[in-house]
Amino acid sequence: MTVETYLIYIVMPIICLSLIFIFLRFLKGPAVVDRVVALDLLITVGVGFIGLFSLIADNPIFLDVAVILALIAFLSTVAFSFYLEKRNKDD
Amino acid sequence: MLKYFLLNILLIFVWVALTGQLNYPNFVFGAVAGFFILWLLTKNSNKSEKEYFYRVPKIILFILYFLYDMLHANFQVAIDVITPNYHTTPGMIKYDIDAKTDFEITMLTNIIALTPGTMVVEIAEDKTHIYIHTMYLKDKEKFISRMKERTEKKLLEILR
Amino acid sequence: MIDILIMVLSTLGAIFILIASIGVFRLPDFYTRLSVTIKAATLGIGCILGAAAIHFSEFSITTKAIAIVFFLFITSPVAAFLIARTAYHTGIKLWDKTVIDELKDKYKEEAEKNKDSDKK
Repeated sequence: MTVETYLIYIVMPIICLSLIFIFLRFLKGPAVVDRVVALDLLITVGVGFIGLFSLIADNPIFLDVAVILALIAFLSTVAFSFYLEKRNKDD
Repeated sequence: MLKYFLLNILLIFVWVALTGQLNYPNFVFGAVAGFFILWLLTKNSNKSEKEYFYRVPKIILFILYFLYDMLHANFQVAIDVITPNYHTTPGMIKYDIDAKTDFEITMLTNIIALTPGTMVVEIAEDKTHIYIHTMYLKDKEKFISRMKERTEKKLLEILR
Repeated sequence: MIDILIMVLSTLGAIFILIASIGVFRLPDFYTRLSVTIKAATLGIGCILGAAAIHFSEFSITTKAIAIVFFLFITSPVAAFLIARTAYHTGIKLWDKTVIDELKDKYKEEAEKNKDSDKK
């Protein structure tokens, strides 16, 4: 068994399963902050997904996408928390 | 302190340029060799000059210790997540900090947040205490003294 | 040898991510969910990117992987702190079985102070 088949048939399904679990929480989440955390986790796991995909495709150019995505995840969480707090103060 | 750090970096680049191999093992070997040369050169000087050579091993030890702690806590949480019943006894605790400057507080909160099970929720305006949310609270005094001994003391030893 | 190392690291990372996702799905309240998930996911991604760095074993790519992992390790605690603080301000309740809540006293005092200042 080569590394590629192992990664495609065992590691990739585990990560897809965890993406499904996080998405269920994203749909369910009772409050807005739950959804924000689920979204942040979705993007963070997406970074790992891209890293794994670049390993399978044997093409390191995909890691550039992962850098940008890691930046955006942090910015989106900070922006969400900032505006939620501001909205709370205005009430 | 800073002088020796910069000299060490310069020695790394000299080593890499002389050998001409641009890969990570070569960088690490250059760093170790430069550290050793500087240590030999300042062997006879006074104690304040040699502070750098005490601090670098401490920082490396702290990073290794922190990684071990993080893995250990992760396994503890993993067992709790997988088994059907909850064993958690969460609690929000007020914790007085010794860290004074903003940088020290930021590093402390980062390290507390990265060990699973504990998380910082609020920092007081006058920077004297923080509020920690923890998942496994058995005894409050024990938790506080453990946090002080194992995390904060070691961190402040490095930063100061 | 390198193949086995890549397999072990990527499997470990995937398992950490799976634990984080199960945790975010079934833990009872917001604060426990947050304090489990973000760190486990960060560790898992560190493992997977380490596997990628070992596979390519090239100077520029290893630097890129280290940059991503370092950035995640710096930013995810800050994001977790900010969102937890916002959640407490917007009034997300703690779990019923929570033993002790010392932050509540502080907000009570602050609310009383605000009321006094409003009256004046």
